Amino acid sequence: MTEGLGLVGIVLVSHSAALAEGAAELVQQISGGATVVPAGGTDDGGLGTSTARIEAAIDDAETGSGVLIIPDLGSAVLSARAVLADLAGETTARLVDAPFVEGAVAAAVAAGSGADLDAVAAAAEEARDATKF
Amino acid sequence: MPPSSDGAVERVVVLPKPLHARPAGQLARLAGRHKETTIQLVAGAKKANARGVLAVMAMGAVTGTEVTLTVTGPDAEAVADEVADILTAAEAVDG
Repeated sequence: MTEGLGLVGIVLVSHSAALAEGAAELVQQISGGATVVPAGGTDDGGLGTSTARIEAAIDDAETGSGVLIIPDLGSAVLSARAVLADLAGETTARLVDAPFVEGAVAAAVAAGSGADLDAVAAAAEEARDATKF
Repeated sequence: MPPSSDGAVERVVVLPKPLHARPAGQLARLAGRHKETTIQLVAGAKKANARGVLAVMAMGAVTGTEVTLTVTGPDAEAVADEVADILTAAEAVDG
């Protein structure tokens, strides 16, 4: 993960491991070097979210500049919040309300260009207003 | 907008390949590296600031599209060259 050293890391939390991994792969390709870590599925790989996977992903994504967490739906938010509550004070990770794919793309491109956590979070949130065509 | 001592640099390029996600990402990263410089793209009725990767993708610029790029701010010439390189090198990528 040395390529993303010093950049804001991104964690993609999805109910589906395949969705999280696919989105991370796509976003990493577009952003060219941002650290994007998938946290999808339950502990046994089923559909759902896992606090253990989210916590491990935050750890992987942290390179010293903070971590932005983008959840897909409902309980992904609850699981991410539970992890953040557990880590209270021990992490700079932040949960953002943004579209999963567009938000991840915008955030990772911002992170890849060296933006700080506030700017990366803002980029993800702005994606809500971006039209697709 | 901060006042700029450099004039605007304008280039017109014809896309050899669609302006897909990957070149859009490259443009946004370039824009991110030149924070004082503004890169504006126009293709027909669509326009986008290169900083906005989603806006650039939403232009839906396909092969053969004529894109006018306007760069203002520090190093406008050099940045315009890089933008043109990214847009015309799009042939080499399938993203």
